[in-house]
Amino acid sequence: MIYDCLIIGGGLAGLTCGIKCASHGLHTAIISGGMNSLHFSSGSIDIAGYNTKGEVIKKPFEYLKTMVKENSGHPYARTGIPGIKGSLNFITEKLSAEGITLSSNNDFNHFHITTLGTLKPTYLSQESVFSARVTDIVNSQQKIAILNFKGFRDYYPEQTAANLKKNTLFKDTEIVLGDISLPYYMNTEKNLHEFRSIDIARIFETERYLPRIAEEIKKASGGASAVSLPAFIGVNNYKAIRKKLEDMTGKFIYEIPSLPPSILGLRLDHALKNSFIKLGGEYIAGERVVSGSIKKDQVEFLTTKNSGNIPVTSKFYVLTTGSFFSGGLSAGFDSISEPLFGLKVKSENKRSKWYSRTFFDKKSHPFLGFGVEIDNKFNPVSESGKTIKNLFCAGSVLSGYNPVSEASGGGVAISTGFKCAERIIKEIKND
Amino acid sequence: MIKIENISFDHCIKCTICSMYCPVSQATHLFPGPKASGPDAERLRIKNPELVDSSLKFCTNCKRCEIACPSDVKIAEIIQNAKWKYLKIHWLRPRDFFMSRTDLVGGIATLFSRIVNFIIGLTLVRVFMHVFLKIPYRTVFPAYEKTTFRRIYKKELKWSQSGFSKKIIYFHGCFVNYNNNNLGREFVKVMNALGYGVEMKKEKCCGVPLIANGYIEKAKKNAIYNISSLQKGNEESKIVATSSSCAFALKNEYSSFLELDNSGIADRVEFVTKFLYNEFLSGNIPEMKPLGIRAAYHSPCHLERMGGVMYTLGVLKNIPGLELIVLNSECCGIAGTYGFKKENYEISQSVGRNLFNLIDKAVPEFVITDCETCKMQIEMNTKYKVLHPVTVIAMALDIK
Repeated sequence: MIYDCLIIGGGLAGLTCGIKCASHGLHTAIISGGMNSLHFSSGSIDIAGYNTKGEVIKKPFEYLKTMVKENSGHPYARTGIPGIKGSLNFITEKLSAEGITLSSNNDFNHFHITTLGTLKPTYLSQESVFSARVTDIVNSQQKIAILNFKGFRDYYPEQTAANLKKNTLFKDTEIVLGDISLPYYMNTEKNLHEFRSIDIARIFETERYLPRIAEEIKKASGGASAVSLPAFIGVNNYKAIRKKLEDMTGKFIYEIPSLPPSILGLRLDHALKNSFIKLGGEYIAGERVVSGSIKKDQVEFLTTKNSGNIPVTSKFYVLTTGSFFSGGLSAGFDSISEPLFGLKVKSENKRSKWYSRTFFDKKSHPFLGFGVEIDNKFNPVSESGKTIKNLFCAGSVLSGYNPVSEASGGGVAISTGFKCAERIIKEIKND
Repeated sequence: MIKIENISFDHCIKCTICSMYCPVSQATHLFPGPKASGPDAERLRIKNPELVDSSLKFCTNCKRCEIACPSDVKIAEIIQNAKWKYLKIHWLRPRDFFMSRTDLVGGIATLFSRIVNFIIGLTLVRVFMHVFLKIPYRTVFPAYEKTTFRRIYKKELKWSQSGFSKKIIYFHGCFVNYNNNNLGREFVKVMNALGYGVEMKKEKCCGVPLIANGYIEKAKKNAIYNISSLQKGNEESKIVATSSSCAFALKNEYSSFLELDNSGIADRVEFVTKFLYNEFLSGNIPEMKPLGIRAAYHSPCHLERMGGVMYTLGVLKNIPGLELIVLNSECCGIAGTYGFKKENYEISQSVGRNLFNLIDKAVPEFVITDCETCKMQIEMNTKYKVLHPVTVIAMALDIK
């Protein structure tokens, strides 16, 4: 009853690793304490968005070719470029089987519009965020409408429009602002100011109100051929809903990621979890690993919050506990540590060197690059300097990259998670 | 004064993920969701208890918010506390009184089980209950047994238990005692197969239905009784429960919610599948024959919160010939006595619908779940019989 592979952390890296392991028939479990950061994400997958000078990268894989040569400590240097591509193909296939289509702009990055109306480079997006049609609408400077649900306080179309106007791509584009509302629905229900994106997504999901919503969109969009809404047009059957709305309005519907909870991210999360469970994986939510016992160069067992004196054991372990927010890394007064195993961490000892004095520094903050050190086999090193052979690390618990300044978080999570799974599959075969 | 350990609401970063996973706010807009009712409102309530909101009563205490929370905020506990500390109960509640006294009602009902089962099945009685007691007409109450498990144990089982060198103490709970004697017998059979003799101590209802209906003082009395009774003698033996909610109360809620000292029993209390998992892990696996059954497994909310699902799955995967379909985690909607109340009926059904659909889609022969009220809800709303993991093991032991 011992697991083949036990993954600590159920985020993008952990799920990728879990799906790959489970698809090879390994007895795999993911222990996840609380929901993952996909719930806070744009729902697009970044590979490499900015170079070290903060400039936008056009062709990420071409850029990475030189980057990995210069920066051998970067996780991408360990996964290799074919490794990144392979992992992305794997995960897009799995997502597509669960009804999520992610598409890229061939080898190029594309932009997605943020809540604030800035443009962010990314590599893979859902069809409501990137498609050939989007490129066409932007290039031909067609009139666009930025709409909101009347009273929804997590989004301000005026702000989006004002910032978009500052961008050369939208300088000459005519932008219409407007609201849609459902007075009949609202009268019978609670105060709209209490609604978050998920509540509105559920209104869309009932499909009962779609004809009315379509009418509202037509009315508010002032003849624009493309309409943007905050991303709340449904979670599970959003594809069908979007198609219906497009058919009813005759307009292209674009989605802008909203404040958390992010529906675009939630779709990926649900799809990945479904995929994992269908393959026989055990997703253990709401349990927290509190410590791991290391004997010589092996993890012996894990202790969870509820396991008491019954140790949780596996042949191999994967650490995908994330960065500071999720508790994968922990900051003391002047030291950074990995709390579960006490792994060797790459960081700065002086607190003053952790951060930049400017909050929105182009180079971002150094602490975002801190994390666990691994070797080329993705094994970490214990406090005493021994390589731990049955433990692998992936995702943002790793050091050597800055997900914010590089716009590389999604790509690193997927490719390192995938690589750890490949390592485990290989080791188990050799056994 | 606020106790320092009760300020977990301060760790809330307002991400609203909990509300996203709240089955009740999915079913109705009358409940503003765990974030608004829990950590948000708690700040106000601390300042002024009058600011309590009556929508708190919609919370089922399924604890899915706590499972979802990335910041480990004890959201359900905050709501549960607020509900009974601040919410003044103005109405007389004979229904809630009887529903929460599972041991009192069960004790009487088993004496006249044939009559009781007959009466509560009558249309006229059900209409009466619907109108006057606010118990929805469509509720099917579990039938009462002719006798209690304790009597069966004394008469038929006790004599043979002294032959085993290893002992465990069985906390059977009300459901086994009054409504499902067989599960108790099966439990004894499985434990004996593992080489354990089963002992029982005096016990009262664990207090879960009392807490859920706001009878906190009575729950405390029961808890104190159970703690002292279970502590007597046999200090080493594990205390094993077949009800996930009983186990959760004995192990966690007695200290975390009722603020009692349960340190003498907390470490010894184990839900049955975790106990079995550990035995299986150390090689103590009884001889089971292939079942040849396809079953769907539903994970109860409270078992998930206890981190217990991995043990149940681990145990079930050891049963030969059991084709297991693990259903996506969904709340069944019954939440103890919640779904048995007329004012909650629609919400309860709406919450459970996702699960019922999943079960129908899986086309199993049986459904397996650890919790007795989940069992009632699934049996009321689908055509499938629901089995406890222990029952499934007992079935595999029985095959000749």
